[in-house]
Amino acid sequence: MEFLGLVNYALFMAIFIGIYALLALGLNIQWGFAGLFNAGIAGFFAVGAYTSAILTTPAADGRIGGFDQNFVVGWIGAMLAAALVAWPIGKICLRFRSDYLAIASIGIAEIIRLVIKSEPALTNGARGISNIPRPFGDLGYTESQVAYLIIVLVVLIAAYFLVERQFNAPWGRMMRAIRDNEGAAKAMGKDVEFRRLEAFIFGSALMGLGGAIFAHFNRSITPEAIDPMVATFLVWIMLILGGSGNNRGAILGAAVVWIIWSVSEIATDRLPHEYAVQAKYIRLFLIGLMLQLVLRFRPEGLLPEPLRGDQRTTKPGVDPN
Amino acid sequence: MKTKFLTLAAGLMTATALATVPAKADVKIGLLGGISGPIAAMAPAMVDAAQLALQQVNEQGGIGANEKLVGVVGDSACNPQNGTDAATKAVNIEGVTGIVGPHCSGAVLAAAGSVTIPAGITLITPSGTSPEISNLEDKGTVFRTVPSDDYQGRALARTMKDQGYGKVAVAYLNNDYGTGLAGAFKAEYVDELGGEITQFAAHEEGKASYRSNLAELAKGGADTLVIFDYGDGTGLTILRQALENDFFDKFVGGDGMKSDAVINELGAENLASFVASSPVGEKSESLDMFNAAFKGVGGDPDAIFANTSYDAAFLMALAIEKAGGKKEGVAAAMVEVSNGEGDAIRPGEWKKAKELIAAGTAIDYKGAAGDHNFDAKGDVPGTYALWEVGSDGYEVITEMK
Repeated sequence: MEFLGLVNYALFMAIFIGIYALLALGLNIQWGFAGLFNAGIAGFFAVGAYTSAILTTPAADGRIGGFDQNFVVGWIGAMLAAALVAWPIGKICLRFRSDYLAIASIGIAEIIRLVIKSEPALTNGARGISNIPRPFGDLGYTESQVAYLIIVLVVLIAAYFLVERQFNAPWGRMMRAIRDNEGAAKAMGKDVEFRRLEAFIFGSALMGLGGAIFAHFNRSITPEAIDPMVATFLVWIMLILGGSGNNRGAILGAAVVWIIWSVSEIATDRLPHEYAVQAKYIRLFLIGLMLQLVLRFRPEGLLPEPLRGDQRTTKPGVDPN
Repeated sequence: MKTKFLTLAAGLMTATALATVPAKADVKIGLLGGISGPIAAMAPAMVDAAQLALQQVNEQGGIGANEKLVGVVGDSACNPQNGTDAATKAVNIEGVTGIVGPHCSGAVLAAAGSVTIPAGITLITPSGTSPEISNLEDKGTVFRTVPSDDYQGRALARTMKDQGYGKVAVAYLNNDYGTGLAGAFKAEYVDELGGEITQFAAHEEGKASYRSNLAELAKGGADTLVIFDYGDGTGLTILRQALENDFFDKFVGGDGMKSDAVINELGAENLASFVASSPVGEKSESLDMFNAAFKGVGGDPDAIFANTSYDAAFLMALAIEKAGGKKEGVAAAMVEVSNGEGDAIRPGEWKKAKELIAAGTAIDYKGAAGDHNFDAKGDVPGTYALWEVGSDGYEVITEMK
């Protein structure tokens, strides 16, 4: 193992963590702040990935586009497309209470996956779209990864500050009020349906952006990437573990889970080689175990949601403990 | 708590770093497969078949100057996320000279696009059949030992035209197998050869009756029905109902339809007008050698993609030997060891191959799954034939080109 190899691996991990952090941030807007149980992350991820792929690839036979645009156009398009897809879905499904919304959103992600797989004119069907340009992809292996990581970090930091600012603004307080006591928020004159739809659309747009960044990094996108295991539930584990309601928690959760997910395979490879195949399942077990432990011992996550506003809990006659 | 997790992660990394330090002069190749995920049932046999090739190499003198060839198994889980992760680890942490796998097309495209092509590592997949893999801008570093889905569909179209088929209707199963074959067939039959397809329709699997689909398909006046489906599943139902109701006179199937279930269920006497395309080379000497060796280590030679996995690993070993162990030369050497020219090498003949390479003689690997002979895109042509139902099971009518 050479030093350069480690650097390349670390860069790769950092890029993936950045992508997953964007997905977790998007989910944090929906779940952490608005209490919307979206189990269809993979769907919005896919819409973003395919939109950007169609916008930025050179013209191809047999499907719409490509339009050979700059990757910036592709990524903005990905956010808009994911938001546009989220709008009617939210309009219909957000009337459900949380667990019904989860069921509906799983179904919607599956519908999106099947549409992508069965509409060759739009998405090239089961074959997927390849030869998607990667920004600075012409550089060498390491340099190209460094360049891409910088882009991902810029996007992630921008997203983090925008989301953080929004949460600390009156909008964020209103969202938490709706989450914690919908009736009261309504009584205060807040338009609960509209606000929840807003949160749903903002979150979905970030998920679409994550999908686009993923597609450009791999230079291809196929329906296999819309696997709920790696595109939905892994993101949920990241957010729950990092701390829902806390943006830094979402990013930290993405980092911790992905590092364990990826590095544990190297560790299990040290097992005798007869177990090479069986050992691969250990990491699935590890992730499950970790989620169980977090839920049991630290349900609020590694970085819990910060308490805001008036934190004086001592009131006359009430024991603070 | 946060620190605990970080410590755990850091601990894992350190353990890994420590464990990898005593790197001997082993030559490593990555064996990436969909071990967890949708093809979990198929992957172990494929990995075992590849390991068999490495075992034979090591038993017969090893690679290069008596070095051991080691397979590093990675889990690509049949999706791009894990595929790229596994490929990155194989290339950067393990320092592999070449990669055999991943198994699924989506993982192959992503691993090639983000890892192996930029890093200049040669990749050979035993089971990625997507036509997109042919079109990668890969600087000649991506190969496969299984024909593209495109190939069979196009070859079938050409053969049918030669055999004098006229207007046809096409029914295909709505999954990547069915749509891939049907799309390639249509492109060749209509666009290239000027044939006529009257109806072109997908169907969902597992319905009790396809009579309404068949009635729709029969509308255009075609006398032949082309079915891209599985002969032990929905394809059988469609064929039976088409025969019962006399919708079509002639039937053509893809390799999925060449199933014994069709003969057992419908009877050979009713299948006089049914033909199917399927790979040949099934009885080659190379395949017998592989089957015997794989049985010897407790494997099931009939397992799907076992022979292509073996060939991929053996070809990778030959290419590394030919390139003198240098990563950069493997891709060029891969083409040289299987281009139809030179002394024939069959599965397991590592010692002979090693001597010939040392002597500078050209070699040509004739694998268990076919002769391979890579084209400019790193693809192998399939060896397909058209089969009819005889008194004794399926019989070859003609080779498909």
